[in-house]
Amino acid sequence: MKECKKFRKDLVAFLYGELEARRQGNFLSHLKSCSDCQSELEKLEEVKRGADSLNKEIEEAMSSVDWETLPAQIADAVFKKEERQRESWFKRFSRALYRPQLRPVYAALLIGILLGSFFTFVVFRSPFKKQEKGEVFIIPQDFIERVELEMARRETLDYLEKSQYLILDFVQAASEEERTQWQREFASQKARNLLLKKKYINQQLDRFQMAKAKEICDQIEYLFYELTQVADHLPAWRIEEINNFIEEKQLLLKIRLLKKELEESKKSEV
Amino acid sequence: MERLADRKNEDISSLVEKIKSGDREAFMTVISLYQKRIFLLAFSFFHNREDAMDIVQDTFLRLHQKIHSFRKGENFQNWLFQIAKNLCIDYYRKNYSKRKEWGIEKDVEEINSSLQSNHDSNLSSDLREIFSQCLKKLAEKQRMVFVLKHYNQLKYKEIAQVMKIAPGTAKSLHFKAIQNLRGLVSPYLGERYEGV
Repeated sequence: MKECKKFRKDLVAFLYGELEARRQGNFLSHLKSCSDCQSELEKLEEVKRGADSLNKEIEEAMSSVDWETLPAQIADAVFKKEERQRESWFKRFSRALYRPQLRPVYAALLIGILLGSFFTFVVFRSPFKKQEKGEVFIIPQDFIERVELEMARRETLDYLEKSQYLILDFVQAASEEERTQWQREFASQKARNLLLKKKYINQQLDRFQMAKAKEICDQIEYLFYELTQVADHLPAWRIEEINNFIEEKQLLLKIRLLKKELEESKKSEV
Repeated sequence: MERLADRKNEDISSLVEKIKSGDREAFMTVISLYQKRIFLLAFSFFHNREDAMDIVQDTFLRLHQKIHSFRKGENFQNWLFQIAKNLCIDYYRKNYSKRKEWGIEKDVEEINSSLQSNHDSNLSSDLREIFSQCLKKLAEKQRMVFVLKHYNQLKYKEIAQVMKIAPGTAKSLHFKAIQNLRGLVSPYLGERYEGV
């Protein structure tokens, strides 16, 4: 039994003809005398024969292959594959981009770009949209009011200055002749202009609640109105009366103070 | 086939040099010399024609890629078989392990029961199926050694070179493969093997 164990390991090698020559003699002499090992060998031979049964399947598979053309096919495939592998990444990338399978994708992309461009054009170029948006230059109400106030102040200052010069000319005219000449010029030209201006200033003074300025301007207006009503030649009593009015109302002083006040308010705002 | 390889062995080094320089004809000569052996190895391992064809093509592709690593004096056939063997095992692990998990492969017991219920079936084809399935049940190394020994008729020494193991190990693996096969097929062989 111990001997059997020693020889059992050689059974498969013996079966496949690979038992070393030096061991073969001993093995065969043992096999002749040992029925167990003979039986074991027979079983292994059965397995070997069973494995041989696959030979037919292998032969069938072998005969189904065209061995003549296979080397060329394999060589083609190998060289093609290696050529592809040798190609630069850029070429491979380009080849991948130009694959016919990607054509529908490119077509879809192109359509998308065209539609996108079209709608972008429509949205940004639409006259309706432009009108809707209006691009209207909106000026804040506050700003407009400040501008109008500034204009009113300037107009008032201008009115006051011109009125001041006219009144001064009247007051300072010494002789009767000078006064008559002054009266002609005044009545015909300047007073009427200043009265017209006063009508415009009135609205501004009311609007911006410049009550003090309005009061003085009304007095000046009254004075000019009186002067325009009289004839070319002013009688002495009338001149006296007007002078009294100017003095009584301290009209020149008020004009100066008001001018100063308006100029200062302008500076403080700036 | 072995003789053919031996006859061409003297030319193989010059063929290898030509392949290295990009000679297509030399490459095709090498393919025509070894294609059947590689197919036999792959087919006996997988028992599937398409898988075997894939292995043949991949083996020669790998050969072409790795030809510069082939050293002079080395056994070309064993070197090529090493490539094929590695590819077979990789391919098996990649594809067949999943099939096994999914239960696509038939079980031996399943085949046995179908055989017992069909007494008129062709015994030789049944036996082929039994062996085919039992071979697939062997461990990778045992199966590869058995295939190289039984169908490719390599010697233990050559198997050892291909498998990168000791000849004693190759012999031992072969012994275990036969024993396991016997254990797998014996229930059926005991009843039916007579007369086949």
